Amino acid sequence: MIRPVLAVVLNTYREVVRNKILYAILFYAVLLVLTGHFFADVSLNQERRILFDVGLGLISLFAVVLTLFAGTSVIYKEIEKKTIFLIVPRAISRGQFLLGKWGGLFLSMAVIITAMFAILLAQVMFLKLRPEVALFKGVLLVYLEVALLIAVALFFSSFSSPVITGMLTIGFFVIGRLLPDLKQILFTKYQADGFRAVAEEVLQVFPHFYLYVPSGHDLNGRSLSLTTDFVTWSYVGWAFLYTVLGCALILIVAAGVFRRRDLA
Amino acid sequence: MTEPLPLELSHVHKRFKTGFLSLRTATAVTDLSLALRTNEIVGILGPNGAGKTTTLKMVTGLIFPTAGEVRLFGEPVHRRAARARMGFLPENPYFYDYLTAEEFLHMACGLADMPLAGRQERVTAMLKRLGIHHARALPMRKFSKGMLQRAGLAAALIHDPDLVILDEPLSGLDPIGRRDFREIILDLKRAGKTVLFSSHILPDVEDLCDRVAIIVKGRLREEGALTDLLEHGTRNTDIEVRCEPARGELLAREFPTLDCASTLAGFRLGVPVGENLQELLGRLIALNLEIVSVRPHRLSLEDLFVAHAEGAPPEAPPEREARDEGAKSAPDGEPKSAPDGANQEVES
Repeated sequence: MIRPVLAVVLNTYREVVRNKILYAILFYAVLLVLTGHFFADVSLNQERRILFDVGLGLISLFAVVLTLFAGTSVIYKEIEKKTIFLIVPRAISRGQFLLGKWGGLFLSMAVIITAMFAILLAQVMFLKLRPEVALFKGVLLVYLEVALLIAVALFFSSFSSPVITGMLTIGFFVIGRLLPDLKQILFTKYQADGFRAVAEEVLQVFPHFYLYVPSGHDLNGRSLSLTTDFVTWSYVGWAFLYTVLGCALILIVAAGVFRRRDLA
Repeated sequence: MTEPLPLELSHVHKRFKTGFLSLRTATAVTDLSLALRTNEIVGILGPNGAGKTTTLKMVTGLIFPTAGEVRLFGEPVHRRAARARMGFLPENPYFYDYLTAEEFLHMACGLADMPLAGRQERVTAMLKRLGIHHARALPMRKFSKGMLQRAGLAAALIHDPDLVILDEPLSGLDPIGRRDFREIILDLKRAGKTVLFSSHILPDVEDLCDRVAIIVKGRLREEGALTDLLEHGTRNTDIEVRCEPARGELLAREFPTLDCASTLAGFRLGVPVGENLQELLGRLIALNLEIVSVRPHRLSLEDLFVAHAEGAPPEAPPEREARDEGAKSAPDGEPKSAPDGANQEVES
């Protein structure tokens, strides 16, 4: 039962890593990650923080861009090019096919994120800085963020075109990232209890992407960076659990939609 | 307990929603019932847009019938276990052009849930069987159409399926490719497999198929063993006799109901259906005429196909009509002919 899923995982991975456009994007990503070095040089006594923040931020940004690039068209291409005709008639359910697609995309993105992170670590070493645990926690959150984003992209692509999938996925991602701010703005402006209750429920629908870029302030009002180690391992654990459950739920709904679709 | 049929379509309908708001529907297949028995080769024929590919897509689980049921080996087609025993080659198969043929077949092994052990041997054997082993390491974007078709067939057969569905398998192949494919299809039958394929190449269908189903405008118009369908379509028989030209008058006088035409060696007599051929031959021998040949003219599959496609099916002799009626009223889901005059409909 697992072998058909693994076949789709491997094929999707090959599709992504053999795509030349991806390498063009990756090239720019590497260049930009290297610019962290430059920012660190010109900062005053903040090399470490700037390098870590800019590096992780750029890894997250490019991981999201690459996920959107690969994830929003992955199902559509299979249907449009009719390659799905070689898969669906076999001993694989449509849910397994989606799971395989998710696995293949995640594997591809994980390899790319790891490559970008390795470059960041090399810079850290080059600047004779200590690669702190916070950096690893930060990159783990990027993996989780991408995992959830792939699930969202697959959900929309199970029933819509790449353009609509792209727009909806970006929309959900942006809203998910800004969810705490959106809540604050909405609840400050509209204070009626009824509205508040409905808005709370509606906003719950959006995946909580803000979990992967935690920020905060200390008691003195100073902003805290992810790399100042205020994110605990238990926080990462809870984010992991949220991601696993979120991905499972989204993929189950996507499979329910996709299994009814005519692949004409 | 009897083995369930490899494939059974029961009163299958398919309507597609069309138009901007999907408010209109186009009927692609109407009340199609067809059953395949184990170890037979069945051909689906029909003009372009007849509903052949739609039917095969329903059979392979790519699309769902609007009404009716498709069963593979007694199980609904949406069950994975049912599809596991089926191999499918789509029309003009599209491939992952970034894969090599070998990688593609390994992927097909995985999709068929084959264990890792023995995969490489099976892949190599299939590449050799289909004559593309020399190109196993080439990306498939560099393959010719014939090579792609071969790779597709290799993938369809990689897991040794009991039911093989082939959509236009012979199109785009050169004569050698066609010969190889025909040989493979016949090998499948020899190995006890069941094959369903659609084709426009009628001589191949005539050579390969035990039964054919002719679909026109989404309806099954004719279905049965090729020998039955064509035997009953016998039109007339030509008898060629060798004699002197002067005996032409005698022939015309003795056999006024026959067409008599002179040939280089003598005369050719056209005997219409219904004449007693044995008696006629006896009379010719009695007249001391040398009979050179007796050649019945049978309906070809092409004649049958064209007649159905143009909406004027050949008239069936009374005994065949009676048998068809029996089949229509058979309660056990045996293949039935749909009523004539059906059209592909577009409804608002």
